[in-house]
Parts: sequence; C-alpha cells; structure tokens
Amino acid sequence: MQTETPSLSAPWPVKPNELPKEIFHREDIFQLELERIFRGPVWHMVGHVAELPKPGDFKTTIVGDVRLLMMHGKDGRVRVFHNSCPHRGTQLETAARGCRGEIECPYHRWVFNMEGALVSASGRDRFPATFRNEDYGLRQLKTEQRHGLIFSTFSDLAPPLDEFLGPAGDVLRQALGGDERVTLLGYQKVVYHGNWKECSDNEGYHAPLLHRAFRLLKWQGGKGTQAVSPYGHKTISAELAEAPKGKFLNDPSLIELRDPSRVPRSFVAQLFPLNLFVRHLDVINMRVAFPLSPHATEVHYAYFSRQEDDSEMCAHRRRQAANLLGPSGFISLEDGAVFDRLHEGSYTPGTVAFQKGVTDDGGIESVQLQNDEASNLFKWQVYQSMMGFTHD
Amino acid sequence: MIEFQTLALVDTLQAAYIRSLNSKDMKGWLACFAPGNGQYECRTSESDEQDLHLPLMLDDCYARLQDRVLFITEVWSGTYTDYATRHFVQRISAQRGADGLYQVTTNFMVAYTTARRQTEILVAGRYEDDIAVDKTAATFVRKRAILDTITTPRYLVYPI
Repeated sequence: MQTETPSLSAPWPVKPNELPKEIFHREDIFQLELERIFRGPVWHMVGHVAELPKPGDFKTTIVGDVRLLMMHGKDGRVRVFHNSCPHRGTQLETAARGCRGEIECPYHRWVFNMEGALVSASGRDRFPATFRNEDYGLRQLKTEQRHGLIFSTFSDLAPPLDEFLGPAGDVLRQALGGDERVTLLGYQKVVYHGNWKECSDNEGYHAPLLHRAFRLLKWQGGKGTQAVSPYGHKTISAELAEAPKGKFLNDPSLIELRDPSRVPRSFVAQLFPLNLFVRHLDVINMRVAFPLSPHATEVHYAYFSRQEDDSEMCAHRRRQAANLLGPSGFISLEDGAVFDRLHEGSYTPGTVAFQKGVTDDGGIESVQLQNDEASNLFKWQVYQSMMGFTHD
Repeated sequence: MIEFQTLALVDTLQAAYIRSLNSKDMKGWLACFAPGNGQYECRTSESDEQDLHLPLMLDDCYARLQDRVLFITEVWSGTYTDYATRHFVQRISAQRGADGLYQVTTNFMVAYTTARRQTEILVAGRYEDDIAVDKTAATFVRKRAILDTITTPRYLVYPI
C-alpha cells in the first residue's frame, strides 16, 4: 500500500521556479522520499568496479536508508545485496571494504558464497522439510555497469539504464577519462548538515560567486553548456581559463592540468536523485551520498587515477584530490558551508525562487548557459511528480 | 633516553601548535613548522588500513602550508560558519631517528563548539610527528594527523 502524499501548508507553487521551503526539513516528507524516490523507479550509482577489482572484494554502502553489500563474484560480476542475513536480519558485513572468500553471518553461522547463494546453515536437520537453500540466498538488487560504474535499483519499474542516464552516460564516460580503466586512490567522508536535496541542488550560478578561488585563480571561463534529462539529471561541461602562474598561490603546481589528453574543461554529471561525478582539473571524483535524516547527509568522495598514469601523475592526482575537493577542499568547503545555511534558512515560511536562466513567466529558458541555475528546475519537476505534490 | 630538556621543547612546540589552532591564529600555526621545508598531512586511519593513503589535507611543501593559511584567512573568509576547537593531546612515545629528528607520537581528541555554543567531538586520532630540536626551540619538519574518525561530522576549515 502506497503512503499518501503529505499535505503542504500551501499548494505546490504554480510557477516552476518556486519551491516550498518546508520540503527541506519535514520528517513526513523525508520518509515519503525514501519510499517513492530512493526505493522508487530510479537507478543509483553505488560505486565503481575499481573499488572492488577482484573476486571476493566487497564494499558496504547505503542507498536511501537501505544497507547494502556489494561483492565481486568468482564469475567476475559485481552484485549488490541487502547487507542483512535472510535468516534473522543480522548485518552481514561491518567493514567499509575488504576481501573475503565467503560471507558468514556471525549469529547462526549461515554461510553465503561470493555470488550470494546460501552454502550452509548450521542445524539444518531441524529445519522444516520444505526449507531449500535457493530460497534463502542474499536478496539482490537489479544491477548493471556502465564504464565500470555500478548502478542499482530497488524497483522493477525503473526504465532501462541507458534511457535513464541519457546524455549523462557519455559525460560520465568522458569524466572517467574515456573508459572504465581507473584505479581507486581513496576516500574522503563527511556529514553535511543539510537536507539531501540541498546537498544536491548546486547550480552553475553560484560557482564563480561562492567559490572565490574560481575568481582569484581565473578558473571560471564562463563558456560552457548545461544539459538536462527527462529523468532529472543535469550535466555541465565547463571551460576553464588557464590559471595565472604565480599570481596568487605560493604553489601553483597544485592547480596544473597535466593530463595531456584534455583541454581545460571540467565535467559535472549530477544524477537524480543524489549522485555526482566530477572531472575537475586532473581530479576524477565520484560522490555517493545518503540521507541520514531530513537534516543531515553523509557524502563519500571517491577518487580515481587512470591505469595508464605513471607514479608522478598518480601523486599529482592524489595531491589535487586531497586539496581541491572534499570536506576541506579549497573549492568545495564553501559548498558544505552553504548546505548548512540553506537548511537553517529553510526554517522560515514561504518559498525559494530560482531566477538565473528563468523566463519572464517563471519558466525555463531553452538554452542554459554554464552559469545559469534554472537547469535545476527540470529535476524539481521530476521530484514533484514522483512525490505527488499538486498545485491545488 | 631523551633528555628532559628536549622533551620540554617538544611539548612546548605541541602546546604552541594547539594554542594557535584553538585561537585560530594561522600565522602562529605556520610558525610551528620548519621554515622552508615543513610539511603537514591529515588523513584517516581507514585510508592507511586500506593501503590507499589519500589525505584530507596535504601540504607537502612549505608553499602549500602558506597557501592553506591564505585560503583560511582570505579566500574562505565570510563563507563558512565558524567554530571553535579545543585540542587535547597526550604524548605517548618519542625517540630519536637516524636522521637526527625526533619521532613523536601523540594522541589527540578535538572538541568543537558551534556558533550556537553547542559542543561535540570533532575528531580523535594521533599525531605522528618528525620534529627538529635545537638548543632553544623545536619545529615540525613533518606533522601527520591520522584520524580514527573516518567520517568527519562537519566540513573542516582548520587543520587538526
């Protein structure tokens, strides 16, 4: 039975560029988002095969509020399971990553193989005669890979993955460097004190204004394009002006673009509901996030190098990753700060209203420039529709 | 056995370090590092355990230390919601290395207080420091803050 859509204090605004602030902090709305969006007909980018490159490698993660266990099987497939024993529901794996030949539940020693099949269960002679191992394998999500990126969905109603990704699929490929041949460099993990929708609502407008580094270093060329998809994704392909040498930083080597295959261009793929992939300078960054509550969102930044990188290039990517993005990143700390402030500000009545790239009647300009913000409104239309909010 | 005088200089340096961070004195923080070749790194123990070694902050040359000060005091100024820290430290080992530097390990716990005057634990972990000591003073040649805290409870403006 589907939960009813909660009533808002006023109908959903008629103007497409307006949003009610209460959706950013109400617990009942958050619970419905978990049901209709996170467990709904969407695909989630849960990781990259480079995080678990060989059979037996595993990673635990969360989508919405559901605990998941990803495992690389002997057959080379990466599967995504509920991180829960099908017997009594015990959490199966507690580590963030690792490698195991099998999965054993500590409570009653049920053992599963790397493909999630139940191999043995202690005391089986006292089980009902109807018990069959094949009925008690790990519960698995529908999972597919593109460019090594692993996508899962809880819903049989999700569209085909390529249709869901649309043009964002090619932006992901470009951001990865052309194909899946990347190596994991590491992670940074942080909790931002904003609603998940605030943490995924960044737009092109803010970039040169909030991030003073963009201005000081003259990184923001301003010549770039945005594209949106019917499933709520947004991609930005942005040009970066060459940073002036020795004008501001004592160590300008930090912001050098060393990958010879690239023009000064950054790629951003913001996937509905809560995934982000960024290629900025030589940083290759995937963001997997999960809402802890209406008021907090945990973000895991995963960074990659290319397999063809030599040790010097790896060190350069590691150095840029450590300093440019993440919870202390020179060009992303301000985002975390704004997420917190957006959330505090949502505890005031009324609506917010996007403006840049919006038409006179509150609609969306057909062409969205690099530093416009109205491209986010396509995502909000998807959100409104999935949540069932109406204008009356 | 390390002389008491040397340990006193090491402890004086660590005290100056945490005093500068607790008072947001970034010039004072920079002054704790060996001029010209000091380095700072902040990473999680998870990164080490998984053999990944991706830091949260990496100032692998003195110019990078200077740039960190620049960002905190100028570039980010006015954008972040400020918070105050209290660092609590406990030196647990010290030895003289072959290179003449003192290798000092120090546990730390850092509390932070928000603008609303609520206090929580920010991170816990250990410092692994390489310290140059002369007759009158000590400086960090390499300072590594290794966090037991894998997921930081907020964005980090200041070094740990």
